Order: sequence, then C-alpha cells, then structure tokens
Amino acid sequence: MTEIAISMEHVSKKFIRHVERRNSLKERIIRGRSGSSEDFWAVKDVSIQIPKGSVYGLIGHNGSGKSTLLKLMSGIYRPTEGKIHTDGRLAALIELGAGFHPDMTGMENIRLNGSILGLSRKDIDDSTDAIIDFSGLREFINDPVKHYSSGMYVRLGFSVAVHMKPEILVVDEVLAVGDEEFQRRCEDHLYSLRRAGKTIVVVSHGMGQLEGLCDEISWLEHGEVQQSGPATKVIRSYLERVNNQEAARNAEVSSERTDDPDSMRAGSGQIRTQSIALQSESGTPLDHSETGTTTRFAVKLTAKESILGPNVRVGIQHEGGALITMLNNHRLGTDLGVVEGDFTVLVDLINTPILPGRYRIHIDIFDHTGAKLLDNWSDALEFPVRSQRGEIGQGFVDLPAQFTLQE
Amino acid sequence: MLTDLYQRRALIWAFANRDFATRYRSSVLGWFWSLLQPLATLLVFAVVFSVVFRITPPPLGADPDRGSYAAFLFTGLVTWNLFYTIVVLSMSQLKSNGELLRKVQFPGWAPVLGASIVQLVQVVLEVIVLVLMFFWQRNVGWTWILAIPILIALALFAQGIGLMLSILNARFGDVQYIVTVVLGALYFLTPVIYPMSMVEDSASNLVIFIQSNPLTWFVEAMHYAMYSLVAPEWWVVPGLILLGATTFIVGLAVFNRNSEDIGELL
Repeated sequence: MTEIAISMEHVSKKFIRHVERRNSLKERIIRGRSGSSEDFWAVKDVSIQIPKGSVYGLIGHNGSGKSTLLKLMSGIYRPTEGKIHTDGRLAALIELGAGFHPDMTGMENIRLNGSILGLSRKDIDDSTDAIIDFSGLREFINDPVKHYSSGMYVRLGFSVAVHMKPEILVVDEVLAVGDEEFQRRCEDHLYSLRRAGKTIVVVSHGMGQLEGLCDEISWLEHGEVQQSGPATKVIRSYLERVNNQEAARNAEVSSERTDDPDSMRAGSGQIRTQSIALQSESGTPLDHSETGTTTRFAVKLTAKESILGPNVRVGIQHEGGALITMLNNHRLGTDLGVVEGDFTVLVDLINTPILPGRYRIHIDIFDHTGAKLLDNWSDALEFPVRSQRGEIGQGFVDLPAQFTLQE
Repeated sequence: MLTDLYQRRALIWAFANRDFATRYRSSVLGWFWSLLQPLATLLVFAVVFSVVFRITPPPLGADPDRGSYAAFLFTGLVTWNLFYTIVVLSMSQLKSNGELLRKVQFPGWAPVLGASIVQLVQVVLEVIVLVLMFFWQRNVGWTWILAIPILIALALFAQGIGLMLSILNARFGDVQYIVTVVLGALYFLTPVIYPMSMVEDSASNLVIFIQSNPLTWFVEAMHYAMYSLVAPEWWVVPGLILLGATTFIVGLAVFNRNSEDIGELL
C-alpha cells in the first residue's frame, strides 16, 4: 500500500458572505449575530488522497475553489466539515515573497522568511548561500528589497521557499512569475524535488506544464471535484469542456458575418465586401477553426464596375493585437482577372498553422497597381482557433519543424 | 503550550529582529527618539504638576527630608509605559501582519511577542535613565533589585492582556478605539502623577477603585522599591509574579483557542 502524504475526507469550507461586513462591535450589538449574511461553500465534500512522492495537480476555472483547497491543506484555513491529515513538513507557496519587509535587505529577509516558513536558525545558515545562488541576486543581497524589481522580489521569495526542504510542497500559480530563464529554473527545481521523492501539490492554468509534471489531477468545479485521475485524461476532459463552453458562448458570433450596408468604409467603394464566412475545406460552415485542419474563408464581394485584377488581402490578427499574417492573392501569384457584379473569393488557410486563441479577420481590397484602396473592412470576423492537442498560450503559429535525435 | 513558544523561539526572534531593524532605520537619531518622547512627557508633567498643581512628592528613601517629584513621576511613568506600550503594540500586531497571516501558516503570537521584545529594549533604556536619575539624587538602595521581578511580572501581565486584545481587535475593528479610551482613563486611576498618600484619605469610592486596580499594585511596588527604598510586604512581589504569569498563560490560551482561523479573519 502506498503511503499517503495528504488525506482529505469529505472536506467542506463555508465562508459567510456578509452583505455588509459586520465586524464592528456596535453593529454586532445592535443587529445581533444573525442577519443578512449568506453562506458560500467554497469547497464542497472534497475527498482526495495524495500519495507520497507524487505530483498532484488541481485545475479549474477561477473561483472554483483551488486556492481555498490549498489553503486548507496548508492549514491556513480550517475545514468547516471533514478531516484533513498531512504527513510530513509542508511548505506552501501561496504567494512568493509574502512577508518581505521593504526596508530590510535581501539577506535579512531571507532570514525572516526562512523562520516564518519554519526553518531553524541553523538550517537557514546552512542554506543561505544556496538560496542566494539560486535567486541569482548576490549582487543586490545587501540592498533593501524596496529597491528590487517585482521580478527580483519573486525570485528571492521562490528561492527561500524551495530551500526549506519540505516533504510536501504546495504551489499556487506562482510558477507563472519571473522571466523565462527563472521560470525554467523553477520548473527544473520542481522536477528535481519530484525525483527526490517529495510530494508536490500544484495549482496552475498551464495545462502543458501540468501534463508534464503531474501524475494525477483533480478538476474542481464550483468547489466540487468534477473528475480525478491520471493527468492526461483529466486535462483532456477539462479542455473539452472549456472548448464546448466557448463554442456555446460564440454560437451567435460564429461562422458568417454580413456587411451592414450603412456602415462607413474606407476606400473608393468600387468593390464592397458583402460577407465573410468560416468554412471547412468541403464548404460546411464552421464556428471555429482547428489547428492542423484547413480553414476556408469565403469572401463575397460586389464590384460596381468591371475591375481588373484586384488584390484581396486578408489579415489575421491575434486578439492580443499581433498581426499574424496578411494573405493576399498578388503575393501568391493568383490573378483574379476582370471581375464585375457579385463574386466570391475562397481563401484557404492550408492546415491552419495557427495555435489556439481568438483571432480577427481584416479585409482590404486594392486595385491591380496596389496603390488604390477599393474597400476596407476591419474586424470583419472574429473566430476562435482550437486544438485537439491542447496547446494553449504557447505562441501564435505552428511552424513546420522536425526533431531528430543525432546519433 | 509554553513549549510551543520555546520551540518557535527562532520565529519570535526573527520578528523581533525585523521590528528592531526597521523601527528606527529611517531616522538618523534612532533610539534617541524613543527616549526623547518619555523624557519630554516627564519634563512637561513635572512642570505642570509640581509647579502648577503643587503636588508634593513623598519623601525620598535615602533622605526623608527631601522629595523629588520628577523622580517620583518618572518611576511611575516608566512602569505605566511598559504596560501601555505592550498592550497597544500587541493589539495592532495581528492586523499589521495580516498580509502574512493570510498566506503563510505560522503561530499568530509570534509577531505579537516579537514586537513586545523590541519594546522591552526600550523599557530597559528607560530604566537605565531612571537609575541614573536616582544616582544623581543619591537615592540608592538594595531594594532596587526588586524592580527586576516587578517589571518582568508587569511585562507578562501586559502581554497576557495584549494577546487577548489582539485577537479581539482582529475580530472587531473598533476594539482599539475603546481600549485607547479605557487606557486613558486608567492612567488617571493609577498613582502615576500623584502619590497614593494624596488620595488615600479621601473617602470617595474612587479610592476603592484605584486600590483595586492591578496597575496600582505594580506602580506602588515600583515606588516602594525604587523611590522610597522600602521593601514591600514579603508576599507582594511573589503575588505580582503569580498575577503576571497567570494572566500571560490565560492570555496565550485564549489567543490559541481563538486564532486557529486567523488567516480568514484578517
């Protein structure tokens, strides 16, 4: 039988949500103890067994109770109902650098923070050098931390916390801080703790990161465990749910958008874009596109007079503002010939090499010389890109690449 | 319960160090300011009460023909300040460390006790000034030694009350205002600015109140030991120690029982 590091049995946590917070004596006396307050169950009947030496992940939406659960595990909160038993020294990284005093130097703060986290003076003396090296702040260690950048602050906090040799480490979304280099060092450190047989409980929204790190994952929804099990399986169901919810939310936006004839447009107006639709390669309407599968934009246009060789440009912009690409038929060597009246241009984005996220389409049409703007439709369409593989927030494009092991 | 305190002594020291290091770091004269404040109070009170109100000090122990109002007043002020500052400081500690208590699990009494340790350093400085003052008055006696257990007992007494008030203040934000008012009144119900002999003869109920005020016992014991150079009855000092120790233990127990969910309260 495997040993259990953290055992939670039917744990619930109730918060009393005061409509008006009644924490002054006068109000208590005048209006009494009860009154306009609502109970709010942040965690409901959660039973989790975390085996020693495993890495356990918690996922869920904001407000699903992940952080409350961590605080319950680390003893900051008391459960309203149920039992929690932890076996081994526990360190919680709820917030890095909590308890740093701005007027004290980095060195003094290492000592203070170490004591708060439960280290003896000797332990602190022994690990001070390692902490400073890990943080990479040796140069600044005798400066007051109020002069540190927020990044430096967090680096020092993480360094102190991971050097307290915990048997159980509880980490709350703190891995998303610091620069890339430091983030990797943190991740490496977590892997090395894992190899050393420590138990780690981690909350994160980085699914890719969790999938690599965790053995098991629990998915929380409104304070209840929705699903528990092997990391890959739970992450897959979670992403599926998120995708479905997003699809439901975007149902009304979806596949096609028709021009509002009264809207003002830049350009001469000799051509006007009537509508744009998101389709599959075979022409079925879509409400999202998928990384790795061809996406088609069907652009319906009307030319008021005959126009020679127009250049239709389709800009794809990430919701964050970055322009991913500006597709256009002139660059691809496609001549549309002479157009007049209604016609449709099909723009196929082959294998959609775009990573999941929300994107916007801008359309503008130039004449054959490229000097004269005929029509411009900004924000013509907004659409989500999803992936079955679950990559999230790791850039914008899926570039063709190949990894080979050199013998 | 007390072994917990011993086991986490490194933590208490760490908080004491933090408060020690930050208290006067930004001011050049540092500890000097901490002494200046009671000395300024002493000067103003000495002038107002001995010159304007003409309070006659009791005779000095070494020279019964002489009295020194300033020395009498300072003995009481040092004693009162020890109590007052520890209670007031303790009361605010949970709130001022709230950010930390919400995020890390550690015993809440650690910052409270740490802050009081720093305050004790200041008390020691004040006592040194008091001793110098009595040397200057040539009022020296073996009974001085009794001041040490009396002050320790008072510190424990104050800390016990401070611990209880700190948890109460974390729950009800206005406790600190009430306490400030109560302490303001208590100050005048303790023989700090006037000698006990001035009120003893009057028959009003106020006297009973003053006599039953524990702070009167501490202040009077200090007056005996430092000013009058008379040893109080044999049971007084052990009694004060018992009172101080009991209050401290009760305060700590109350604190522990009510601070388990401190992370949620703040």
